[in-house]
Amino acid sequence: MNRSLLICCCLLIAPVFSLAHHSSAMFDKEQVREETVTIREFQWTNPHVWIQITLENDPGQAEEWSIEGLGPNGLFRNGWRPNSFKPGDVVEIRFNPMRDGTSAGGFIGAKFPDGKTLGRWQ
Amino acid sequence: MRMRSISIYLLLAGFATLSVHADELPDWSGVWQRYEGNGGIFDPSTVKPADGRAGSPGVRQYPPLTEAWEAKYVAALDLAANERLPDPISICGTPAGFPRLLALPDVYEFIVRPEQTWIITENGPNILRIHTDGTTHPPPEERWPTFTGDSKGRWIGQTLEFTTVSMIGEAHTILDRSGLTLSDQATVATRMYLTDEGLLRAELVIEDPLALTEPWSVTRHFRRLPNGTRAYDYACAENNRNPITSSGQTLTLDTDGNVIDKVIDGEVIE
Repeated sequence: MNRSLLICCCLLIAPVFSLAHHSSAMFDKEQVREETVTIREFQWTNPHVWIQITLENDPGQAEEWSIEGLGPNGLFRNGWRPNSFKPGDVVEIRFNPMRDGTSAGGFIGAKFPDGKTLGRWQ
Repeated sequence: MRMRSISIYLLLAGFATLSVHADELPDWSGVWQRYEGNGGIFDPSTVKPADGRAGSPGVRQYPPLTEAWEAKYVAALDLAANERLPDPISICGTPAGFPRLLALPDVYEFIVRPEQTWIITENGPNILRIHTDGTTHPPPEERWPTFTGDSKGRWIGQTLEFTTVSMIGEAHTILDRSGLTLSDQATVATRMYLTDEGLLRAELVIEDPLALTEPWSVTRHFRRLPNGTRAYDYACAENNRNPITSSGQTLTLDTDGNVIDKVIDGEVIE
């Protein structure tokens, strides 16, 4: 079962999403959303990687969301790999949602069932 | 035979103007990263607040701008604060240009040869070619504004000194996401050298009769990353799911290329 937690926080988790290619202003960095999701697709591409996930925005309502990360080059140098997320993986993920309610967000961190993490996950 | 002799003479004359030999050049090998962060703010020494990030509301720098350029900067800051500042590199089609290319994220390579030095930014496309073969800037009728301009320089010991002219300026470049710009009349004098701490230091003195009231000094540093660090392709157009509207809004596309934003230029999309 998906666990949905909307954390309204200014300081609990500092935003880490800083984009090289475009402004990150569309993401609400005052909010961090934490979800247990299923990976649909991982796009290891420039200028940003994208994690396509399925989450339950409302109970029983599965939705596809697009989570945007930094560029693959810098992520690779920080331990990410092209197969860091595999379709079907169930992971916990944190992201800054978009301000206008669009089903997308800016990646903060992820935690895998074996305890491994990517990004920022305190 | 006579032509061959002339060619050899010209060739030798060219090499005779090289200021150093290869074994005298400094070791700038490896992969580097900008030392100053601040979200790409161009002039960390004048930014307020000191930890302000380029494009964040209330964050600006204080170069010696002319009245006209101060007005442009204030207007750009307003756009940035409202998330509408168009950044030319967001369209994935043009270089950041010089001198902004000294303040980019991702990594750098500095390829040093007696006759030329190349500054290659991974976040590109950007290659700054600095000619140190004794040639001078072309006459005005043989140059035009380009993203990186024309750089000519020389080695003074372990220091690379060069001047850059003919940059395209505000037409297609900005200095950072606060919206700071220069005109196409700008010139930049740069000194680059390794510090005792192992940082690669770039000291810039920027002059611009349209944008600046006096020379503007900007210093930036780069730190060398551990051995084995690699640079990779940066193909911005490979999967750009963030097109920009004419008003400067960054949109988001789904995996099929459809816009998924619920508000576009203030209009709620049903």
